[in-house]
Amino acid sequence: MNEVTAFWILAAIAVIGALFAIRKRNLVHGVFSLLVFFAGLAGLFLLLLAEFIAVVQILVYAGAVGILILFAIMLTDRVTGKDAFRVTSRGSFWGTIIAASVFLVLLLPTIQEIPQVDNPSNSEEIVKQSTVKALGKKLIHPYVITLEILALLLTAALIGAVTAAQGGHPAKKKISIE
Amino acid sequence: MTVTLHHYLILASVLFCIGLLGALSRRNAIVVLFSVEIMLNAANLNFIAFWRFGNNPELLHGPLFTLFTIAVAAAEVALGLALVIAVYRHFRSVDLESLNTLKEE
Repeated sequence: MNEVTAFWILAAIAVIGALFAIRKRNLVHGVFSLLVFFAGLAGLFLLLLAEFIAVVQILVYAGAVGILILFAIMLTDRVTGKDAFRVTSRGSFWGTIIAASVFLVLLLPTIQEIPQVDNPSNSEEIVKQSTVKALGKKLIHPYVITLEILALLLTAALIGAVTAAQGGHPAKKKISIE
Repeated sequence: MTVTLHHYLILASVLFCIGLLGALSRRNAIVVLFSVEIMLNAANLNFIAFWRFGNNPELLHGPLFTLFTIAVAAAEVALGLALVIAVYRHFRSVDLESLNTLKEE
C-alpha cells in the first residue's frame, strides 16, 4: 500500500470518527468513535514519521483520556441512549454556518498562502534524526525548563481535579453526615 | 500524485471545524469537552506536518511541541471532567443550558 492510499484511508477514518463523535446521540457510542478518531490520527502521525508521537497518542488519548471520559459519563448521565431530547439543540444550524465559514473564510485562504514545498526532506534522514534518544536529549538540553513547568502543571492539575471533583469542603460534609 | 503539506493542512482544518461545530452546537458538557480535544488534535497534526515538510527536521520542533501539547491537553481533560462532575453534583445535569444562574431572569 503506498503512501497516498494510506493517507486517504486514515484521513477518512479520522474525519468519520470525529463526525460520529460529535453527532452520536448515545454518548458512549460517541466516545468509542472518538477513540477511532484518535487511532486514525495516530496512524497519520506514523505516516508523517513521528512514531514516538503516534505511540504517545495511543497511550494518552486512546488509553487514558478515553477511559476518563467514559468514567465521567457513567458518573453523570444515565447511559440509556435517551440523550436525544437534549441533542437537538437550537444552535446546530448556526454552529454549522459558523464552522463552515471559519473553514472557508479563515482557514482555506490562509492555507493557500502557504508556499508549496517542492522537495520535502528525505524520509530516511528524518527517521535517523528523530529517534527517541534524540527527543530525550532535546528534552533535557534546551527544553528542560518547559519540562519542569509541565511537571508542575500536571501536579497542579491533578490536585485541582481531585479538589474540584470532591466538591466543597469534605471536612464540613463529614460533620453534617454525622 | 504524492501527499503534500497542503493535504495535511486541509485535513487538519476540516477536523478543527468538526470540533468547532461540536463545541458550538452540542449542549452536553462532556461532548463539548471532547470537541475541544478534537480541535487540539487537529492542531497537533499541523505541528507534525509542518515539521515533516519543513526545513530543519533535525531540530525536532514538531514532535517536542506536540508532546507538550498532549501533556497540557491531558491536564485539561482531567480538570475539565472534574469540573463536569462538580457541575453535575450542583445542578443534577450536565446540560450547558441549565447553567444559567448568572443570567437575569
